[in-house]
Amino acid sequence: MNMNSTLRSLLRALWPLLLTAQAVSVSAASPADVDPAPAPAPASAATGAASSPSDDAAAGTRALDEQIQGLKKDVVDLNKDLFVLEEELLFPANTQVAVFVSVDVGDFFALDSVTLKIDNHDVSNYLYTPREVSALLRGGVQRLYVGNLKAGQHELLALFNGKGPHDRDYRRAANIRFEKGVGAKYLELKITDHQRAQQPEFEIKDWE
Amino acid sequence: MMAAILIGATAALAATSASNGLIGRPAPDFVLPAVAGSNVRLSEFRGQPVMISFWSSRCGLCAAQLTAMDRYYGTYRSSGLIVLGVSVEDDQQRAIDYAHAHAASFPLLLDKDKSVGRAFGIERLPTTVLIDRAGQVRFMHSDDRAGDPSYVAQIRALLDDRPERSDR
Repeated sequence: MNMNSTLRSLLRALWPLLLTAQAVSVSAASPADVDPAPAPAPASAATGAASSPSDDAAAGTRALDEQIQGLKKDVVDLNKDLFVLEEELLFPANTQVAVFVSVDVGDFFALDSVTLKIDNHDVSNYLYTPREVSALLRGGVQRLYVGNLKAGQHELLALFNGKGPHDRDYRRAANIRFEKGVGAKYLELKITDHQRAQQPEFEIKDWE
Repeated sequence: MMAAILIGATAALAATSASNGLIGRPAPDFVLPAVAGSNVRLSEFRGQPVMISFWSSRCGLCAAQLTAMDRYYGTYRSSGLIVLGVSVEDDQQRAIDYAHAHAASFPLLLDKDKSVGRAFGIERLPTTVLIDRAGQVRFMHSDDRAGDPSYVAQIRALLDDRPERSDR
């Protein structure tokens, strides 16, 4: 209820701004419609004018362009605020659980997919493209899942699919029992290479 | 007789409107496993025109459609055209066997739970979807006329579209 009313009030505040931005964009797209043929100037003004009508038109266009840029920036800022607000409302810190994935080295394992189960319920099944795997190998950390859990004991099970050593199909699981407290819970699925065993290692790290 | 014609016309209209509903709108994103090779995500091809052909081993016309798609891919891949074949088969092993039998040079993907087929509103096979560089659905064909010159004209129109300049 609180979330709905906050979002409604935010949208009410945004609506006139978006309408103005749209109107300005439309008028900027067709300057001929905005600025029709200049009306005949009074004789006194015409004789004493310091700048030509074309200079005035250029200055007007410049001002309009600045106004559009300003409005665009406002919309981007508001969108950012809305995103943060949405995250805070949908996943409050007292119930939030987030699971991240990171890969280190990756000589012995080529990641294909990860299936995530919390308390034996499927919560995520993610297929990785080569570009995503490459981003992970370059040090990227992916937020695989964010959701809500009540306080207490829970179990997370992660199933990793991919190609192991010698390009063989490889399927491994890792699980962790964790205590969800009052604050947000962050868990990290880490895929590393075990050089001595020449095998990949799958570990779940609980960020306290 | 009249009633049958009316029912048929209404059904045809409904089918047309369902597929046409996507035209001019962003193509639903998806990630699917390929029969051979790695997973494919549609949004990673943003900036390139994409042609998707939905097929099934039970569809008699799909083989000819895939052959035509392969020909287009061979001709226009150097210009940046991406071609994807998406199976909406119930039996995955059958789809894999069919894909091996009709080896295509473009990725053949498996839509196991048919979620992609549903997202694109596929009602007939073969169906071909053409997506522009901005990721918007531009053309949809629910027929087997892949050899039709209109296909080539549409592919060329998508290739001729210059990528829009981004403000960011």
